[in-house]
Amino acid sequence: MSKKVLIVDDAAFMRMLLKDIITKAGFEVVGEAANGKEAVEKYKELQPDIVTMDITMPEMNGIEAVKEIKKINPDAKIIMVSAMGQQAMVIEAIQAGARDFIVKPFQPARVIEAIKKLAEEG
Amino acid sequence: MMKDEYLGVFIDETREAIQQMNDVLLRIEQNMEDMEAINELFRILHTLKGMAGTMEFNTMMTLCHRMENLLDEIRNGRMLLTEDIVDRLFKGADVIEHMLNNIVENGTDELEDIDVKGLISEFEEMLEGKVDLSEPAGKAKAEEKTVPESKGEAEEIPIEITDDLLHVINEAKEKGFNPYYVKVSLKEGTQLKAARMYLVFHKIEDKGGEILRTNPPVEDIEDEKFDLDVDMIVVIKESAEELSKDITSIADIDKVVVKEFEPEKFQAGKEVKKEKIEEKPEIEKVTASKKVDRRKKKITQTVRVDIEKLDTLMNLMGELVIARSRIVETLKKYNIKEVDESLAQLSRITLDLQNIVMKIRMVPIAYVFNRFPRMVRDLAKQMKKEVNFVVEGEETELDRTFVEEIGDPLLHLLRNAIDHGIEPKEERVAKGKPPVGTIVLSARHEGNNVVIEVSDDGRGLDREKITRRAVERGLIDEAKAATLPDEKIFELIFLPGFSTKEEVTEVSGRGVGMDVVKNVVESLNGNVSIESQKDKGTKVTIRLPLTLAIIQALLVKVNDFVYAIPIATIDSTLKITKEDIQVVQDQEVVVIRQEVIPIIKLWEVLQLPHEDVEDSMNVVIIRMGNKKYGIVVDTLIGQDDIVIKSLGKLFADVKEFSGGAVLGDGSIALILDVANLMV
Repeated sequence: MSKKVLIVDDAAFMRMLLKDIITKAGFEVVGEAANGKEAVEKYKELQPDIVTMDITMPEMNGIEAVKEIKKINPDAKIIMVSAMGQQAMVIEAIQAGARDFIVKPFQPARVIEAIKKLAEEG
Repeated sequence: MMKDEYLGVFIDETREAIQQMNDVLLRIEQNMEDMEAINELFRILHTLKGMAGTMEFNTMMTLCHRMENLLDEIRNGRMLLTEDIVDRLFKGADVIEHMLNNIVENGTDELEDIDVKGLISEFEEMLEGKVDLSEPAGKAKAEEKTVPESKGEAEEIPIEITDDLLHVINEAKEKGFNPYYVKVSLKEGTQLKAARMYLVFHKIEDKGGEILRTNPPVEDIEDEKFDLDVDMIVVIKESAEELSKDITSIADIDKVVVKEFEPEKFQAGKEVKKEKIEEKPEIEKVTASKKVDRRKKKITQTVRVDIEKLDTLMNLMGELVIARSRIVETLKKYNIKEVDESLAQLSRITLDLQNIVMKIRMVPIAYVFNRFPRMVRDLAKQMKKEVNFVVEGEETELDRTFVEEIGDPLLHLLRNAIDHGIEPKEERVAKGKPPVGTIVLSARHEGNNVVIEVSDDGRGLDREKITRRAVERGLIDEAKAATLPDEKIFELIFLPGFSTKEEVTEVSGRGVGMDVVKNVVESLNGNVSIESQKDKGTKVTIRLPLTLAIIQALLVKVNDFVYAIPIATIDSTLKITKEDIQVVQDQEVVVIRQEVIPIIKLWEVLQLPHEDVEDSMNVVIIRMGNKKYGIVVDTLIGQDDIVIKSLGKLFADVKEFSGGAVLGDGSIALILDVANLMV
């Protein structure tokens, strides 16, 4: 069964791009969220297997969102989507429980690799 | 590769981002310590950088990146924000906009006429010359800097084995841990290597292991001062294979070597206190960005739709309204009770539908207004005037078509206000006015109209000057000018040929005169009026209908032919007799409630044969701004929704009609362009 993915990014452009990449790789994108707050709500509602999470977002940033989601499900699999120069924030996110990260501008292969690796963990 | 597919969205979002960037920069300029704004700007640039990079617009990405770095230094207190930097950031925003325009036109972000590289290196220099308040290896720099430090001789363990390390290893062994020497190699081109390595550390600890030593030291790894390899000593209960598999499961890992570590080889055995390496990298103080963007109150779900589809929808809606009217009209003849209810329902639904379609076409006027604060700032700076620019009612919605058209006229009015209206500081002080001038741009709904006002507290219009200029240009003769009230004189500036190239200043004379403003507004079925008082200021009011497509109209009849008058322009209707009409200066007028209102007979204006009417005549009083006049017609039929259809290019010169409409009975009515009937 294909894994369910939730995409979180404040830029519609990025969401569209990720959605395309992820869908083409045979995963099912079950939802999108434009900020951390929405992400937490959508997580509860959709219970995705994997979440891609942008870091800098309005309302609630990605790290806060990771913390919130981890409260709901400590086993949540979250991949941070970071830009160059966000090392410290990525590390903070990993401490908060993010499982992996990808860096913008990303290559489709990397995105897929990250998602597949997480998916394989069962 | 994926460019074409996403270009549209990229352009839209980048444009929004540039707009936001300008807004935020203005806020920062107002208050250099507005951390929230600085954080917001950082976030915007950050998003832009990501998008540009993905679209492979590398110059744009680099520029955004440099600007972002600069802001990062500022928000972390490592650099002081100066006016100079703000100016430079404004410039950066402009260049990004140029790039975007160039992308739209030519598909590339490379600009030929602008020295982008120069700007980029300016930002770099600013970073170099920053006031260094804290640790030298700023995070922004760390990224470009990779100090190759791996010595990577595979066989020997490239880690210094100290006595205390051996002690800890032995202790761990007693507790059932296995010591390993691990070498992790990242893939070529891995990004955010420190974070990637951190993921490795995290994984090991997750499995109950502990990292005792690393080469390079943890601090250097955090600062990304390593190439691709990291050596470490790990104690863990897992087997070598398990450990190797766990680490390999992390993305971007090229190779993992796990070897049993034999402390005996290094044994010296002395009592030293336990030491372990904690890798909790210092988290930077960037958490402030959490609060970013409170102004973006709610993010609404939207769908982007091709404009053409919307126009088609609007057209179909129009046809539907006509069809409904026809059905209603036809059924009236038969008076069938059974259909009444469903007919009423049909009417309600079409009305709702019509409202929604209209709303879809409506956009907040903020789309036009947004760019003005920045422009006003630039213009004022250029003119060396101090202006406080106030924008009100940005949320007022109006038809999309207007939004596109109204921008230039408004800009012209604002330019005038800055250039001619607001006086230089000294002059203002001499007049006892506040030294900083105020320009207010406001929008609001008023009935079925949108009213946009541009007002300033400057010197006001000069009656003498305008009269002189108008006489010079032969637009009016001196004798007549003397008799006219102020408002009539002020209206002269709307005449074509009033403003000329002579008065071209850098700012306000760009060949667009007030006549152009008037033309544009009137082509949108709106009108302009001007009020001014010497030394108090000037106010220009633009009145536009809410939408162009479907309007409410009063149907009137002359010689058995039906004409439509937009309800929005009608003040009232009344009946008069011939005795009520008086003649003042060759103009027929009626006096209503002590107000003298000029009247015209529609058949005379349209040059139709018509008998003189003696007794009761129907007059429709039209209101245009603060003027009124009456149109005499034969009969008033009633009110109806009409769908405006253009008369086509052939009749573009016909001033009296703004369009045509198909009525319920299938006949055609011409829509009177009331702005042009009364000369």
